[in-house]
Amino acid sequence: MSAYNQTVASITFRAVLGRRRALLFAIPALVLIGTAAVLRLTHPADPAWPTRILGSFGFSVVLPLTALIIGTSVLGAEIEDGSIIHVLATPVRRRAVILTKYVVAVATTVVFACVPELLAGIIATGGLTRFAVGLFVGALAGAVIYNALFVSLSAATTRALAVGLLYVLLWEGVLANFTGGARVLSIGHYALAMAVAVAPGSGIDPGISLAAACVLGAVVTVAALVLAIRKLSAFSLRADAA
Amino acid sequence: MSPETTGVIHDLGYQRYDGGRLGRMQIVRTLYWYSLRAAFGLGRGARAKILPVGLFALMCAPAVVEAVIVARGGTRAVPYDTYVFPLRVVVMTIFVAAQAPELVSKDRRCRVLPLYFARPLHRGDYPLAKFAALTVACLAMIDVPLVLLYAGTISSLHSGSAIWGETRALLPGLLIGALWSVTLTVVGLAIASFSGRRAYTTGAIAVFFFLSWSLAQFLVTVGGRGPVTQPTLAGLVSPFTILDGVRLWLGGTATGPLPAVGRYGPAYGLSLLVLLVVPALVLAARYRKEDAA
Amino acid sequence: MTGIELRGVSRWYGNVVAVNDITMTVGPGVTGLLGPNGAGKSTLLHMVAGFLQPSRGQVTLGGEPAWRNPGLYRKAGIVTERESAYPFLTGREFVRAAACLHELADPVAATRRAIGLVDMVGPMDRRIATYSKGMRQRIRVAAALVHDPEVLLLDEPFNGMDPRQRLHMMDLLGRLGGQGRTILFSSHILEEVEQLSGTIQVMVAGRLAASGDFRAIRRLMTSRPHVFLVRSGDDRRLGAALIGRPAVSGVELTRGGLQVSASDYGAFAAEIARLTRDEGIRLRELLPADESLESVFSYLVSS
Repeated sequence: MSAYNQTVASITFRAVLGRRRALLFAIPALVLIGTAAVLRLTHPADPAWPTRILGSFGFSVVLPLTALIIGTSVLGAEIEDGSIIHVLATPVRRRAVILTKYVVAVATTVVFACVPELLAGIIATGGLTRFAVGLFVGALAGAVIYNALFVSLSAATTRALAVGLLYVLLWEGVLANFTGGARVLSIGHYALAMAVAVAPGSGIDPGISLAAACVLGAVVTVAALVLAIRKLSAFSLRADAA
Repeated sequence: MSPETTGVIHDLGYQRYDGGRLGRMQIVRTLYWYSLRAAFGLGRGARAKILPVGLFALMCAPAVVEAVIVARGGTRAVPYDTYVFPLRVVVMTIFVAAQAPELVSKDRRCRVLPLYFARPLHRGDYPLAKFAALTVACLAMIDVPLVLLYAGTISSLHSGSAIWGETRALLPGLLIGALWSVTLTVVGLAIASFSGRRAYTTGAIAVFFFLSWSLAQFLVTVGGRGPVTQPTLAGLVSPFTILDGVRLWLGGTATGPLPAVGRYGPAYGLSLLVLLVVPALVLAARYRKEDAA
Repeated sequence: MTGIELRGVSRWYGNVVAVNDITMTVGPGVTGLLGPNGAGKSTLLHMVAGFLQPSRGQVTLGGEPAWRNPGLYRKAGIVTERESAYPFLTGREFVRAAACLHELADPVAATRRAIGLVDMVGPMDRRIATYSKGMRQRIRVAAALVHDPEVLLLDEPFNGMDPRQRLHMMDLLGRLGGQGRTILFSSHILEEVEQLSGTIQVMVAGRLAASGDFRAIRRLMTSRPHVFLVRSGDDRRLGAALIGRPAVSGVELTRGGLQVSASDYGAFAAEIARLTRDEGIRLRELLPADESLESVFSYLVSS
């Protein structure tokens, strides 16, 4: 099958998980779960904070930040130090390279952001409630869409992390909450819409409809991956190092 | 023909330099100046300038908007000492996360540190110069918009006492800005000095600043009786809220994320001190090692 | 049909022309791409390897275009200049990964063979992070050879190698070239190219200054006199006779023999035979004095 390559997958997994960078995306998850646990112990009866810690902290901060670190490191690191050549100087199709790395990124994000979101949800709401499951589903969607964007950014520019930060912090963090129109272009809100669809009545207003979120999310994912494949197919080496 | 077995060193006209040499201070000053320029992408290609200049423009945007509003007779909504707090947090996080590695990680990656330390440059001078450069850069990012806001406001004012009032309001804002610059710089550089890979350190700084800020924001608004969730102590989780706590302690108004500080003021002060001293020591230690390359 | 062909290939970056209208053919055997730093050798190699698009012109390997053609890498192996192998893999895992990526039927055997070729069997189970620069270079060559390519491209392959490793690598490349593969390597060090390749392509400031056998190139440079060392029965008399001939531009009596500068190689060759016969001088030795690549290179570069 020319969409997945096991060798690329194992190298990418080892590269992503085997270094100090893995700490970077373990920490947000631990903070999320830890905070939920502490709050559960100290405020068991307060109904307001579960929504907020899972929604605005877990969903809007931990998920995109983790996806950013992971999504930019599956491809970005190899392009930056030139070791991508060892994969590209083979008959492996560029499509397979991008899609395999994307799958690795999504899988890693699921482990380090979505599952912690579910665990925090279970802790916060006292069990496998619909709310917790809803947010888990939304986080899965977020992992899928966010990583497509960030892998694509890594293929397009060497400053993918900085651009991604601008998107997550500035666009999604500040603008999308203030102006209604910007929500149409905010991946976080697509994911939120899907979460709310599974768990209605949670009090969160995603700002866009489920149908719009699904369509836009699919469009963004596919477009980003196609762009990434095209960029990698035309990968060029500059003559000077660094 | 018999081969030559002796060697000769030829006189190529190389002359010993016996004149005056610029001293250590000059080296530090040059390193500072060069790093300051690098923090804004000057002296490199156009692409290096996009991010810092763009962020700077973003920071100035509220000042410009406010100046227009005041000129049309409206009232000022943006204070000097907190400005637009969320915008400031986001812009400074991205700025420090992107530029601190540019100053510090890049040297480590390209292994030029031995070149620096083979000069009459003491081990502490290098981080000092970098610290000075990034602090001034952050200062420009934070205080210049304040000055713009001030200029825009007083141009619509006419009475001397009103202008004096504005000036008195501006000065604490500038000082708070200076405090921000110093703190963010020392923390950012300390994190960045740990690795030569820009992506790691950018990610680490971004995660640290933004995660702690989001957590603090969240904790501050969670009411309750437990110690961790007291509105006034929750700010200790994040450098940004620690700075705001210190500002409140020093007599500022509740225009920022923290509602009040109360008797926890000294706790914030102490935390700020720790936040300044510990990264500074780490930074100095990172370059004191024998093999700081 | 495994040659490399470039037709009118140029590459520019804005106002800077890195490669300037190069047309050349590289056939089987070892070809050295020679030139000073900044001559555009790496740029050219990247274009041949399919990792840079020419601004103009075409690059083909064995008839197939080089750009955007992943299938090309079934018969080509590339070793780039930047050292960048995955530090967390062992040497064996790295070459094995390359073998799997090339979809080889028996990756284990191919890995073994390739690692044996570059003489890295000892350290192959250590992580690449622990390798020296020369070892990293060799393991990358192994990865480039694992699929038994017909074409091998190497950018400054001897960088960072100690003399023993260099000799070994030269021997390896020479053998591979002798098997009929097309090997193109770049270097700015004359001795490497001189010892290894018979055919050279000389690049200066982005242009192709000369190509072919370096001795043949030398002979083409008639603007500079050829210098020969002649030993005969009576050097002085021969020298006196030679200086009178138009093909000879200078004669010098040295302890090793007669150094003759000839402006016209062909005419001189005929002249000296006739002269020595007419004068009755026995000709013992006639050697070109400056055939080494170094003199070719410096002539080409300075002209």
